[in-house]
Amino acid sequence: MLKRVLIANRGEIALRILRSCREAGIETVAVYSEADRDALHVQLATQSVCIGPARAADSYLSRTAILTAALATGCDGIHPGYGFLSENADFAGACAQAGLVFIGPSGDVIRRAGAKSAARTMMREAHVPVTPGSDGPVRSEAEALAAAERVGYPVMLKASAGGGGRGIRRCAGPAELPSALKEAKAEARACFGDDEMYLEKLVLHPRHIEVQILADNFGNVVHLGDRDCSLQRRSQKLVEEAPAWGLTPELRREMGEAAVRAAKAVGYVNAGTVEFLLDPDGEHFYFMEMNTRIQVEHGITELVTGVDLIRQQLRIASGLPLDIAQEDIACTGHAIECRINAEDPANGFRPCPGRTEFLHLPGGPGVRVDTGLYEGCPLPPYYDSLAAKVMVHAPTRLEAIRKMRRCLEEFALEGFPTTAELCYQLMHHAAFVRGGCATDCLDAHLPELLDFTRHLSESEDENT
Amino acid sequence: MSGIFAKRRARLLAMKALRERYVPPENAVACPRCGQDSSHQAVSRNLYLCPRCGHHFPVGAYYRLGITLDHGSFRELYPKIAAQDPLSFPGYREKLAEARQKTGLSEAAVSAVGTIDGRRCVVGVLDSQFLLGSMSAAVGEKLTLTIEYAEKNRLPLILFSASGGARMQEGILSLMQMAKTSAALGRFDKRGLLYISVLTDPTTGGVTASFASLGDVILAEPGALIGFAGPRVIQQTIGETLPEGFQRAEFQMEHGFVDAVVPRPRMRETLSQLLRLHEKGGA
Repeated sequence: MLKRVLIANRGEIALRILRSCREAGIETVAVYSEADRDALHVQLATQSVCIGPARAADSYLSRTAILTAALATGCDGIHPGYGFLSENADFAGACAQAGLVFIGPSGDVIRRAGAKSAARTMMREAHVPVTPGSDGPVRSEAEALAAAERVGYPVMLKASAGGGGRGIRRCAGPAELPSALKEAKAEARACFGDDEMYLEKLVLHPRHIEVQILADNFGNVVHLGDRDCSLQRRSQKLVEEAPAWGLTPELRREMGEAAVRAAKAVGYVNAGTVEFLLDPDGEHFYFMEMNTRIQVEHGITELVTGVDLIRQQLRIASGLPLDIAQEDIACTGHAIECRINAEDPANGFRPCPGRTEFLHLPGGPGVRVDTGLYEGCPLPPYYDSLAAKVMVHAPTRLEAIRKMRRCLEEFALEGFPTTAELCYQLMHHAAFVRGGCATDCLDAHLPELLDFTRHLSESEDENT
Repeated sequence: MSGIFAKRRARLLAMKALRERYVPPENAVACPRCGQDSSHQAVSRNLYLCPRCGHHFPVGAYYRLGITLDHGSFRELYPKIAAQDPLSFPGYREKLAEARQKTGLSEAAVSAVGTIDGRRCVVGVLDSQFLLGSMSAAVGEKLTLTIEYAEKNRLPLILFSASGGARMQEGILSLMQMAKTSAALGRFDKRGLLYISVLTDPTTGGVTASFASLGDVILAEPGALIGFAGPRVIQQTIGETLPEGFQRAEFQMEHGFVDAVVPRPRMRETLSQLLRLHEKGGA
């Protein structure tokens, strides 16, 4: 087992990793930027090392600073958390070269899973359904038109090297395709230095469903059920639930098995997530991408399966085989997570960092709150705005919704605006309570939800 | 410190109040009397009464039977009787098909035998959402059979009327139903049985002029339009302004056509009381 692990992250996930390490008797080294001097994980870690100024590029993204700190403190492993360097293949490689265990898959696997067009081919070969599209890159306009005709419009043109929404164009019909192809190619060349494009069918009103997997170094792969992350605002997840609502047992089994096949196809090791798009017909699902890290919403899978994913990550990284078999994994009840971000929904979700003036967290059975905040602690403006994750677990979905409502009623955070109240409203919204929302659902209902808040402020003004 | 929780409590209460008041436009129901929007849910939970002003929205036949009869006692009578198109009246078949599709009913009348607070009775209901509850030959036949069923089994009879009158697409055949149902009620009356007629909005035309006005006891729902010819026709004919509330249930009660105006939430207990008073040895 690893002896000392450096946590190359911050905020609630650093704390989350620290907790599992402490339970496993592993010493922890926290690294922090100057802005995070007072952060909770820094206070609780066995040792803490300041690795640079507030700007992420100079601290949490600085590979040399982190590796130096790890070697200087005598660590034998590095946990990257999510974001920052977690899916950086070169960093994973550099760790291995420095003789450190990168707690996650190897650089090669990250690279393989990250290359979009190549991943599609690999998945198709492993019989994992992918969105119908061009089998491989499209070289010319004629090729693109033929492929689009075959799969049916609307289609998406994507850069093979792409990511972050660049080099992507949507086409509703053949008339738009030539110009869109030209634009997307130019953008891809400018952003990634590579203008190879591929084309796929655009699934309208899909649900975003992902499967958690665990794989060890001995070729054992298990999946830990699915999560529904369809409630997103501009692709930023806000509310997640596990298991996904309204999937037939056959579909659930198929998706789980497909995820395991996908993991085996890339030779995956450690914890990962296979993301699927679920067609609104509720029958077809398509491989979207693979996340080679622990995810923000891993907690709800932990709640329904009772498996400590970070602990499993540490075990796998230590070279131990999985201690759970697929038949041992049973999902019980329903879990929901609400992300409390330091953003102001009334002002276009502008990030609103600040000092935590007052904090009261909900409790009671089936409630879990992951946060790095404490009273008086600042939330620095340099990093993502996640302040807390409120999770609940109950026997049924409706009970979970009720529990979440109760928790958000108890939750009190003073000092900066958050998305807590928006989540609270969502817990009452008919579309959410009904279940099975598509990824465009939140964006569609947002004006109505914000309108509600405006009415509320008005009625409060009247009363004062 | 406790100020924070007090403030939160106030805000949560304000949210709750707003949530209850807030009506998403897609399921808002506008009240024709007070003009305010209420959510469909709030109205349906309130026996289809406007939660703000108590206006009685029309209800379907099965819903009416559901709120009138004891739970689980309902047994439908003559469900298969449905209108034909005896005159091959243009467009009638399409209209019937459309009404059946919309309401899920086969005809504008539904009859059932059941109990109210344990007392057996026969109940017939006209549904104003099916071609305005108009009386076709089939409706007349169904009601006549219902009356005869009550007579044969010596059961009290309750008819809820809601009708625009005789169905014009069936011409004289539907007008004949006035005489047929009235004659059946005449025989029913000779046996000394109880017939309660409940007039709901709207009860007009041939229905008013036949079975609806023949009750031993005639009740009405508040605000129901009750008359033979409608107020607009009368106004045009006599060229005079009609008095306020003309032909409404309350107006008809004042003028002796209706015995009592009973709001929907009290209808069942009123019927139950009437049945108790009129049963053998009842007091």
